[in-house]
Amino acid sequence: MTATAAFLPPHLLERIGGLDLIAKTIVRGFQSGIHRSPQHGSGEDFAKHRDYQQGDDVRYVDWKLFARTDRLYVREFEERSNLQCWLVMDTSASMDYADPGGVPKSRYAAYVAAALAHLMLGAGDAVGLAAFGAEPRLLLAPRSRRGHLHDLLMQLERMSPSGSGAAGAALDRVGGTMQRRGRVVLISDLLEEDDGSGLVTALARLRARGDEVIAMRVLTAAESGDRPPGAGLFFDPEQPQTELPATPDADAGYVRRVRAYYDGLADRLRERGVEYVPLTTSQPVEEALVAWVNARRG
Amino acid sequence: MLTFAAPAFLLAGALAMLVPLALHLIRRRPPGRVPLPTARFLAEDPRNAVRVSRPTDLPLLVLRMLLLLLVGAAFSRPAWIPAPEGTSTVVLLDRGGVVDADGWRAGLSAARQALLGPEGEARGELVLFDTGAVHVPRARVRPELFDSLLAAGPGRAPSDYAAALRAIPAATRALRGADSVTVRMISTLSSAGWSPGLGALRESAWPGSIQITRLPIARDTAAGDPPTSSRRAYVVAGEGGRFVSAALGALGYQVQVIPPTGLVAATDTTTPDSGAYFVLAQPDRSTAVELLSRTRRGAALIVASTAVVDSGAWSTMMPWDGPFAVRPNSAGGTMWLGADLRVGGAAGRVEGRTAEGARTVGAWDDGRPAATALRTRTGCTVYLGTALEGGDLPFQAEYPAMLGRLARGCESQDATTIDRPLDSGALQVLRGRGASSIAANRLGAAGGIAFGRWLLAAALLVALIETMLAYRRRAPR
Repeated sequence: MTATAAFLPPHLLERIGGLDLIAKTIVRGFQSGIHRSPQHGSGEDFAKHRDYQQGDDVRYVDWKLFARTDRLYVREFEERSNLQCWLVMDTSASMDYADPGGVPKSRYAAYVAAALAHLMLGAGDAVGLAAFGAEPRLLLAPRSRRGHLHDLLMQLERMSPSGSGAAGAALDRVGGTMQRRGRVVLISDLLEEDDGSGLVTALARLRARGDEVIAMRVLTAAESGDRPPGAGLFFDPEQPQTELPATPDADAGYVRRVRAYYDGLADRLRERGVEYVPLTTSQPVEEALVAWVNARRG
Repeated sequence: MLTFAAPAFLLAGALAMLVPLALHLIRRRPPGRVPLPTARFLAEDPRNAVRVSRPTDLPLLVLRMLLLLLVGAAFSRPAWIPAPEGTSTVVLLDRGGVVDADGWRAGLSAARQALLGPEGEARGELVLFDTGAVHVPRARVRPELFDSLLAAGPGRAPSDYAAALRAIPAATRALRGADSVTVRMISTLSSAGWSPGLGALRESAWPGSIQITRLPIARDTAAGDPPTSSRRAYVVAGEGGRFVSAALGALGYQVQVIPPTGLVAATDTTTPDSGAYFVLAQPDRSTAVELLSRTRRGAALIVASTAVVDSGAWSTMMPWDGPFAVRPNSAGGTMWLGADLRVGGAAGRVEGRTAEGARTVGAWDDGRPAATALRTRTGCTVYLGTALEGGDLPFQAEYPAMLGRLARGCESQDATTIDRPLDSGALQVLRGRGASSIAANRLGAAGGIAFGRWLLAAALLVALIETMLAYRRRAPR
């Protein structure tokens, strides 16, 4: 049995239970799927001692050294991680779309975000959560403490797609809160009203700051053109008043136009140093993450 | 052979099959609204604005069509007849008195053609009727039967179509093994056979239409005329005779006008006995003698208020007791020749009585005799107490009937009833409506296997499967 064969299809993940269990399952599958690397283990990395100053936390006083030297020293540690991570979730109405029998894009995005949060928090990174749909919102500030994962997962569970919004504003707000270099992961279908120009600009702005920027595109097979729907009167969930009679499964131009949009967007993002990760909801989440990480490692 | 008691239902079922087919194929409905976030990349397809449904549910379509066909077939009451015999016929043959010899021969020929197969075997049922009906046993319906019937000739009793109609159900029930039955009536279809209430009887006797083979009505045959002889009439008239000739011609007579003198020279002496002599003018002595001679040999002599020649034999031959000439200023009036024949407008009349041994054929309004008849040895002499032409009795519509009644004056009252063809309404009632061929199992005549109920059970089963399949298709997955 190959590793990928053990990955659970997205529509089966929901049966596992809450998002915390789903995230653990995904991470477990992910960790068994990536190329093994030495585990550094957890624990605090001691850096140096310095003289105690008023206001220092007494928990960090080295009492053993005090016993030997009769002077108060406090221990300083290397930061376990100096990375602030932001997960920026798309909660616009278009993310509520699902293929027949499949999971909605918003739910798939939540799986991915939960798994990433689990991984990053496990690595000591501080993870924050932002979303944009009806309006851009900073939901959780980056934290790395224990219990933060639970808060993140709760927020992800509560997300309900609605409205129409651009990612640019949310990304700018995220960038404004980051005091130092960080990582921004955008999970979205990247369907922007301005053909993604604002999105590309915002991401490029973050990248110019030195942040690591990753754009994860989530689409269904029907949207991507792999299994286009049959004839119908179609409308964009974010613009329901506009209808269009069409037959996508008999329209080769539909697939061509979808691919041209996303290929163009990916090219523009890569030109600006933004990592572009295409995902489809029919693909197991672990498999997608493993493929992505392995591709990064080369 | 497969038969259907009500094939219209089968046809209706077959037509009804087209309904689900049409609904599956050509039902047009607006397409449903479908959300698609990438709708911006779609190209408009105007053909899709109104979507044509495709027969995607072929199993359901087939089941629905099968259901309708089975229901239609079940209601058509099918039956399997193990011994196919095709269409059998019930022949109602009129042997009443209004059928003459030629008609009888023609009727027998038609019946024989309808009932006998190429080997002389019976293919149907024969019913002979006049006032009553006789259902001839099928074993007796052989060529010999028709020969004997032809030799016997038609009967003398009047025809009664009610009797014929009453015999149809029993005759059709006797046709076991036939897949369908037709009824044919071979008759003169004269008014005498009609009776009140015949319409209702007709409806109950046979559900389909009756095929009619019409025989000629026996024309007014003068007494003594052999039935097979051609009918001739001789009008002895000095002047005129035109109206009488026309009326007799309408009755089918070959008419010849003869002057009161010279009868022998004017007529064919080889066939003197056939025909009727209408004497409108006083004949001379030789003509009178010749007329009497021919009357004795079988001819009919009809004398209309004509002075008698000086001949003892002539006067004794007349069925009249009294003067033979119209009395001046005498009252004419209306003359009755039977209950249904009235001739009015006579300007004058001969006053007299019916001679001994003679019978009164017609009477005036006051009951005095107007016409009398006397049968001679083989012929007949009729005297009419008014002048036919010359002013006493104007020509009118009843003229032909009156002449026919006079020519048959020596026959019995029943036999001399003037028949007329059934009018179109009565004929339509008798013929009926609907198919002429009725499935035998509808009449309870067939001994086949009826399997309509099995088809109905199959239809119920199909309906059950269709319901389950449709529910399964519509249930959310």
